[in-house]
Amino acid sequence: MSPAVFVGLKNYANLLHDSIFLQSLKNNLFMVVGSLIAHLLLALLLSNILFNKLRGTKFYQSVYFLPCVICGAAIGLTWTFIYNSEFGMVNNILEILKLAQLKHQWLSDENTVMFAIIIVVMWQYVGYHIVIQLAAMRNIPTSLYEAAAIDGASKWRQFTSVTLPLIKPVLRVDAILIITGSLKYFDLVFVMTGGGPSHASEVLSTYMYYQGFRTLKYGYASAIGNILLFLCIVAICLSSAVFKSKKIEE
Amino acid sequence: MVTGKRNLMKIPQHILLISFTVIFMYPIIWLFINSFKTKQELFQSPWTLPNSLNVENYIKAIVVGNIGRYFLNSIVITVSVVVITTLLSAMAAYGISRLRWKLSKFVLAVISLGIMIPAHATIVPLFSMFSKININNTYLAVIIPLVVFTLPIATLILTGFFSSIPREIEEAAIMDGCSIPTAFFKIIWPMTTPYLVTVAVITFIFAWNDMLFPQIFLSDPNMMTLPVGLNAFKGRYSTDYVGMIAAVVITIVPSIIIYSVLHRKIVEGMTAGAVKG
Repeated sequence: MSPAVFVGLKNYANLLHDSIFLQSLKNNLFMVVGSLIAHLLLALLLSNILFNKLRGTKFYQSVYFLPCVICGAAIGLTWTFIYNSEFGMVNNILEILKLAQLKHQWLSDENTVMFAIIIVVMWQYVGYHIVIQLAAMRNIPTSLYEAAAIDGASKWRQFTSVTLPLIKPVLRVDAILIITGSLKYFDLVFVMTGGGPSHASEVLSTYMYYQGFRTLKYGYASAIGNILLFLCIVAICLSSAVFKSKKIEE
Repeated sequence: MVTGKRNLMKIPQHILLISFTVIFMYPIIWLFINSFKTKQELFQSPWTLPNSLNVENYIKAIVVGNIGRYFLNSIVITVSVVVITTLLSAMAAYGISRLRWKLSKFVLAVISLGIMIPAHATIVPLFSMFSKININNTYLAVIIPLVVFTLPIATLILTGFFSSIPREIEEAAIMDGCSIPTAFFKIIWPMTTPYLVTVAVITFIFAWNDMLFPQIFLSDPNMMTLPVGLNAFKGRYSTDYVGMIAAVVITIVPSIIIYSVLHRKIVEGMTAGAVKG
């Protein structure tokens, strides 16, 4: 390492003109919004079905949770096989469905790469959010549902008027977890694309790695790291404010 | 009639749940099946069972791909992190939940603050510090940050658990002249073993799967852990797909085994912070 020279806010000023940094910021925001919508909706759907006490609930729950105990590097590598253009499952399925014209080099096309990555993120973490939401739903006293049913509330009405308001505090925590989690993805992106093709799938953490440990600009990388820290704190404060709800008396 | 209609209603739900089970399980099963194939077989028939159970890919991954060495490194690092984190977090949680002192709430708040800090923001300063004391490329360079980043959540979970066990037994022991360290190791430790196991397994999962710290602090091929080694394998033998599949299987098998034995504890531990809100 060369001796440190104080440069004031120069690194931060440079960041504003760095198109790759802006691209990775955009990708991170895409991940945040995408995983918020996808995770919350899909997890709510599945946890609500599991909440209906069907046979095998415990089995489904533990199967859905399995991917999030597996290491991100292994999952990233697995999905590069699934997206592989020669023997990959995705292209194979398209061929079987007679949709061969949709076949793609999913991870080396700038237009599809972020969608390809976000699907993997969902595959890995949706089970985690299902378990959290399910635990919250099980804490709701059953008497509330009985009362709602006697009053003639449909299943959908019971969901919107009983389940949803009562699990709101947990949904807030869940949203914070999703947001801070999607700002921090490193291993999946790093293994699947390394930020490529031509920085199209770069996120803040991989770009920080690239600047700090490939081109050896430690100061610049530190600035990116601080932006990441700042964004995490902003996200936590924001989602606390948005989801703020009065305590509902039971 | 009513029950018949209700059962009919459940069919689409079951179909949905089963199709998601396939989506979650099939990639993992696919890995196991294809790890026994030759490269030609993989390209010609990725969907079928292998012709024979040849373990050649595994041997190649271990001998040529150095996966055995990575596995050993991962074990050394993960076991050290699990032991240190469990011991330290249990002691911290004991101090916070049992001993009465002015700053205990404040200390808990400071420790919880650690959960919010993304590891990435600390990478560059850590790298420069580790260069100065010359521990880059040693196990220590990964063990220290992993312990630091697993401690907050472990302490928080254990503090919650410790507060829920009754104090009477300890009080009786102290009355009989038992010192605080003895009370901790002879009474608290055995009484809270199930909780300590929960914390140990989630620490294991975190340390085993982490890629960020080893990727940066361990550049010597002989020191790499499995996730970093997998990526290096991909870089060096980018067309040896079947070898890579075997290497991935070796990496994920310990997590899957631990999960299948202790899944209730893992789920409980990993979601504890969120559910308590």
